[in-house]
Amino acid sequence: MNHDPYSWGRPSDSMYGEYNREIANAPTSMEQHTSSSNFNEHTTRPIVTGTSVVAIKYKTGVVIAADNLASYGSLLRFQGVERLHKVGKTTVVGISGDISDMQYLVKVLDQLSMDNNYDNDEYSDNVDELQPSYIFEYLSNLMYHRRSKMNPLWNALVVSGVDSKTGEPFLQYVNLLGVKYASPSIATGFGAHLAVPLLRRLADSEEQAAELTLEEAKKGIRDSMRVLFYRDTRSSKNYSLAIIDKDAGITYDNNVDVEDMSWKFAKDIKGYGTQKV
Amino acid sequence: MTSVGTGYDLSNSVFSPDGRNFQVEYASKAVENGSTTVGLKCKDGVVFGVEKIITNKLLVPGKNRKIQTIERHIGCCYSGLIPDGKHLVNRGREEAINFKNTYGKPISVSAMSERLSQYVQAYTLYNSVRPFGISTIFGGVLKNENGGNDKPELFMLDPNGSCWGYKGIATGKGRQTAKAELEKLITSEIYDLSAFTARQAVQEVARILYLAHEDNKDKDFELELSWCSLSETDGLHKFVPKDIYEEAIEHAKIEVGLADSDDSDEDEDMEPEAEE
Amino acid sequence: MFRNNYDGDTVTFSPTGRLFQVEYAMEAIKQGSITIGLRSKKHVVLVALKRNADKLSSYQKKLIKCDSHLGLSLAGLAPDARILANYIKQQASYNDMVYGKKINLNKLGELLALKAQKTTQTYSGRPYGVGLLLAGKDNLGVHLLEFQPTGNVIELYGASIGARSQGGKTYLENEMENYLEVESLDELINHGVNALKQTLKDESLDISNLSIGVVGEDIDFTILEGKNVEKYL
Repeated sequence: MNHDPYSWGRPSDSMYGEYNREIANAPTSMEQHTSSSNFNEHTTRPIVTGTSVVAIKYKTGVVIAADNLASYGSLLRFQGVERLHKVGKTTVVGISGDISDMQYLVKVLDQLSMDNNYDNDEYSDNVDELQPSYIFEYLSNLMYHRRSKMNPLWNALVVSGVDSKTGEPFLQYVNLLGVKYASPSIATGFGAHLAVPLLRRLADSEEQAAELTLEEAKKGIRDSMRVLFYRDTRSSKNYSLAIIDKDAGITYDNNVDVEDMSWKFAKDIKGYGTQKV
Repeated sequence: MTSVGTGYDLSNSVFSPDGRNFQVEYASKAVENGSTTVGLKCKDGVVFGVEKIITNKLLVPGKNRKIQTIERHIGCCYSGLIPDGKHLVNRGREEAINFKNTYGKPISVSAMSERLSQYVQAYTLYNSVRPFGISTIFGGVLKNENGGNDKPELFMLDPNGSCWGYKGIATGKGRQTAKAELEKLITSEIYDLSAFTARQAVQEVARILYLAHEDNKDKDFELELSWCSLSETDGLHKFVPKDIYEEAIEHAKIEVGLADSDDSDEDEDMEPEAEE
Repeated sequence: MFRNNYDGDTVTFSPTGRLFQVEYAMEAIKQGSITIGLRSKKHVVLVALKRNADKLSSYQKKLIKCDSHLGLSLAGLAPDARILANYIKQQASYNDMVYGKKINLNKLGELLALKAQKTTQTYSGRPYGVGLLLAGKDNLGVHLLEFQPTGNVIELYGASIGARSQGGKTYLENEMENYLEVESLDELINHGVNALKQTLKDESLDISNLSIGVVGEDIDFTILEGKNVEKYL
């Protein structure tokens, strides 16, 4: 792999041949910074990144998890970075992708809940609470708006929660392209490849998710996080787990460790690091 | 009124020969008949109370709130022209957002007081606008972990833009009675800022508003009580919960002698302690 | 001769702290024909008396639908009401598009209050010369709001604004216990029409001059006119 950050996300030359810049007549982003050009370039790649978010619906709520690592390329740069964010009383937004864009989104979400609380009597029986669907609708509009300005927020978001009026579990995804979808189980990044098959084994349809117990859902998420830690080099052992339940509200644990691992096979793997093959 | 007919009182931003700005003074007149509004500091927060005269039988009880929230930790109530108050609260919210975007932490109450008083003062400078017809009481407590100092702050802002900090303050129609009661309370032994709790303050504010209503007895009214305290609301500005609200009203009625069960007179006369 | 020096604009307080221009704007409501609003736990009803300029002209619209869950009736300057209705429509559709949510009536009231207040504090422009009754539903149930040119927006069980509105208000106050508990929409409309009848002097109600607006938990905002109001006369 080419570890130069400027090559992230580009087709590899060895596979596809060198890119013919004559075609697009576009300078590389390196040239961009040195030569004056007549177009603007916004974010073209994430810098500090968070990896997968995984989530699954169960009978009365949603379980969501994300690890607490922020990577700088292949460097595990920051530990203890929280990527699950509570918004309002019954929503948790999980964010993967660029961490600085995530930090911006957290500010936006904070203001969103502040706006909702203005003149919205918190102690009366009748509060017009922020629902996960409102938050998702807002975020998906924001993501699509930003990609349409060719200045995307480089993230994939998972909005999870329960509707406080109906008790209905909510789980939806939106990414930097403004693509959105709903599913009984959702995972971003590497998780979309490694965790989703595991989670679909538990609940392949809404009907099956409606039968799933909390314990089963939690186990599914724990297994997913373990598999991801085994195979995703940008993941960490330490992760956060949130449960949003229609009766119990949000339970939040930001210090869970991947357990029941076996690394016995590691000594047999050859071809990495300083060891001789 | 001596000002009438001189011509110096017809436009905002104009001084009279003896250096007065009459339009600003007239704006204060709009406050004097407004609903009685009280703010009181306690050991770890502030309490607000507003007397709402029922001017219309058809109003929905419990709605049409007068106390508003500027920021999570800043409450605000005002007396005078209600729409002017909403305008100022809206400005306060914008300032709060602005501050957070610039400094990455919530605005302190004193910084808010400076920004709001600058804004109100600007409305005395030009003849294309009129001054605010409100006196605004606002305050709260910003937690240490949010970049504050855990110290409650309380201010009152007048139409001319002057803003002072208080332990307790009242404005509106019943302000004289209310201020006299606040002075009695604050100079008494009960009021010790290291021990005087938010719940005590709620009771006192309710009592004072009931007393201040005496001059206006024939009219029905509703009380609105809110607070912002470290121990009670985790530093958030919220309306006082129902049970505590009702207890305070009960207590206030007994104190003022309105309750049916007349077991009052425990400490009816609170002697103002000579504490100077 | 006495002349009021303090009523020329909205930026001059009188020595007693009053704003005459704004008070005069309130008077403009009374020049308009009457409209009445009232609600039960489940429904809100607006009734209005339409006027025509002369026998051959059409009648001035009194009700405006602003969103599926929200509408208003007006008394006073109809063009001003259209400006405000337009603003309401914008805000409602913004909320719908951005949050996927029907706008909260209380929030809408606050927005209108801010918009109207601006006109009472600056020299340019004038206050709105219209009173509105807003009827709608949101997550918290049904609501009836009254908007005034002062920037006051209040939530009520019943409201009556426009020419000779006092008779309607008295009816609403006396009957409040009855219509608040009413289950059926028709019965609530009948209360509204009755209240309206208290205010009539020379004219009488018929299918051409009566407008009815309804909204409730089980019904979107709907305007009834012409033949559809016949059974309530």
